[in-house]
Amino acid sequence: MLSIHGGGRHGLGSKVGTVLCWIASIIVAAVCISIIGYLLWKGGHSINWRFLTSDPAASLMEDAAGGVRTPMAGTAILTLLSIALALPVAIGAAVYLAEYMNERWWITRIVRIGLETLASVPSVVFGMFGLSVFTLGTFKFLSGSGAEGSQAAFGRSFLVASIVMAVHILPFVIKVAEEAIRNVPASLRQGALALGMTKWRTISKVVLPAARSGIATAVVLGMGLAAGDTAIVWLTLGGSMTMGVDKWWQVGNWIATLRGAGSTLTTFAYFNSPAGDGNSAGAAFGAAFLLVCIVLVFNLAAVVLFRRRNLNGR
Amino acid sequence: MTVRADGAILVAQPGAPSTIDLTERVSSTASDRFMPYLLGAAAIFSGLLVMFLIYFVVQRAWPVFHSEGLRFVTSGGWDTQLEDSWGGASFFGVRELIAGSVLSTLGALLLSVVLGLGCAIFISELAPRWLKRPFETVVQLLAGIPSVVFGLVGLMVVVPFIESHLVPMNSGNVVTEIPIAGSCLLAAIIVVGFMILPFFVTVASDSLRAIPRSYIDGGLALGMTRWRTITRIQLPAAAPGLVAGIVLAAARGVGEAIAISMVAGAIAFIPNLAHGPLYALLEPIRTMAAAIVENGGEAMDVPAMAAALFGLASLLLLLSVVLSLVARWSFGVFNRRMGVVSDRAL
Repeated sequence: MLSIHGGGRHGLGSKVGTVLCWIASIIVAAVCISIIGYLLWKGGHSINWRFLTSDPAASLMEDAAGGVRTPMAGTAILTLLSIALALPVAIGAAVYLAEYMNERWWITRIVRIGLETLASVPSVVFGMFGLSVFTLGTFKFLSGSGAEGSQAAFGRSFLVASIVMAVHILPFVIKVAEEAIRNVPASLRQGALALGMTKWRTISKVVLPAARSGIATAVVLGMGLAAGDTAIVWLTLGGSMTMGVDKWWQVGNWIATLRGAGSTLTTFAYFNSPAGDGNSAGAAFGAAFLLVCIVLVFNLAAVVLFRRRNLNGR
Repeated sequence: MTVRADGAILVAQPGAPSTIDLTERVSSTASDRFMPYLLGAAAIFSGLLVMFLIYFVVQRAWPVFHSEGLRFVTSGGWDTQLEDSWGGASFFGVRELIAGSVLSTLGALLLSVVLGLGCAIFISELAPRWLKRPFETVVQLLAGIPSVVFGLVGLMVVVPFIESHLVPMNSGNVVTEIPIAGSCLLAAIIVVGFMILPFFVTVASDSLRAIPRSYIDGGLALGMTRWRTITRIQLPAAAPGLVAGIVLAAARGVGEAIAISMVAGAIAFIPNLAHGPLYALLEPIRTMAAAIVENGGEAMDVPAMAAALFGLASLLLLLSVVLSLVARWSFGVFNRRMGVVSDRAL
């Protein structure tokens, strides 16, 4: 039985509870702001032209850990390649889930359970999955041979890491894209169908263009996840900090670069943190600074896109 | 809608980059017959990817499950076994790693649920209008910070703090098995607790907001204070949603590898409560996920070791499948309670 008056009208419990909620929120906001502020302050010292334009170098000296040119390129390659691989599949699946599938079909249930489960799989497990699949000899064309005379493929390259990362971000991108497609007002669809357009033309010419800022949000979210992940990169891109090829920026070397190992800002920060082998905190902070900047930019972009979507919906 | 000189009917539509010519093709086209199959293939492929994942991970773990059986999870000694396996030994027991994962996740959950519930109530009920959106943005930012950044901050701030303020001078007299430093269970709990907090807050505040206004009005009409409607009506009504949030946060915590490997000490050790609660928190741990990234480099070339690491990945996979099914079930309970018929999760 619910007692209505327990604690009194303006009871002590009410005030204490309200104050506790405020305190919890202030703690959380303070922690978040101080993490970002701390990194901007600490990492800002490490950022200079030399740090941005030189390659990582192995050194025991604190100041000689080299720069983040190849890790930055690695983050860019991995992020763009994985979203490029994931997006077509994600949009296709999102359109099907939002427009064609009947929620009562058993196959719909399987697909939804599969996607939810995929979204909850930790990224280390994706990394191990990548190593399990792409060390198979069949996939030598993605990463070159493994040990001398071995039948197995090496299993660590930008191509492998991008494919695994695409699988990792897929359920999240599908979810946001499907939401965006569902948020397109039914009146637009009905109008198009009433004018005699076929279902696919309605989707491709009316629904998808109307949902484009929501889909852009999905892209930004997926890229943010790909840029921020460490475990997949650490396992499937290898622990070497530099690119596998010397002049990797030359067009003729692009294929070899993509088939080779490398690093991203996240693995660079992990490797150079005092917990890793590089042990150069300054370099780790510099990379973390850049990562936080990327996160801030992507979040800002998502907020802006989200606002615009709301305006569209009106 | 305009009619062009050549008879084409052009429709301008909100949100579309250009006008559409309706007369271009109105009958069923080849792409109309073909596209549903292509899109359906994309959807079914995405839905079944997790099956591939399970197959390829468990298949590689099979040797260790076959030779060790249940001993794989009930016996311990991971760190020494790892050293021995370079020489060809192939016994593995991951009891300490399981204990590390369970303890760090439970501790982190405790921290994030206590703080997160406060934040969720704040966002959905208490915050003044002007503060709501900035605060939600801050929580979103926290969710976007990469785990390696959490690990770095934990390693450079939390660990030194614990080492200089909490570790007693004579710790060597009490705990003789291992050195006590700042890298410990407590550091892992703090770091992972803040990492998973935003995921709980998002789900919890969404659940609180999904409760029909009439529930709250009913309570207020009966003379309950605002706070009592929150604690006696909204929280119980939102309970299944909160449970789903806790389960999703737990799945994150169990799977966190990088941050934990940086702050938890990387020693497979079960914190011993016999040393007292403070020492138990200050003792190092190693979790299943952390062991994979820490040992997953060159160790993958040794077949026995690779099988053991895939065994760990299989355990994590099993755990995340179970947790996601539990989360799905509690979302279902919540949606039915709120009168939503859809099968989709929140």
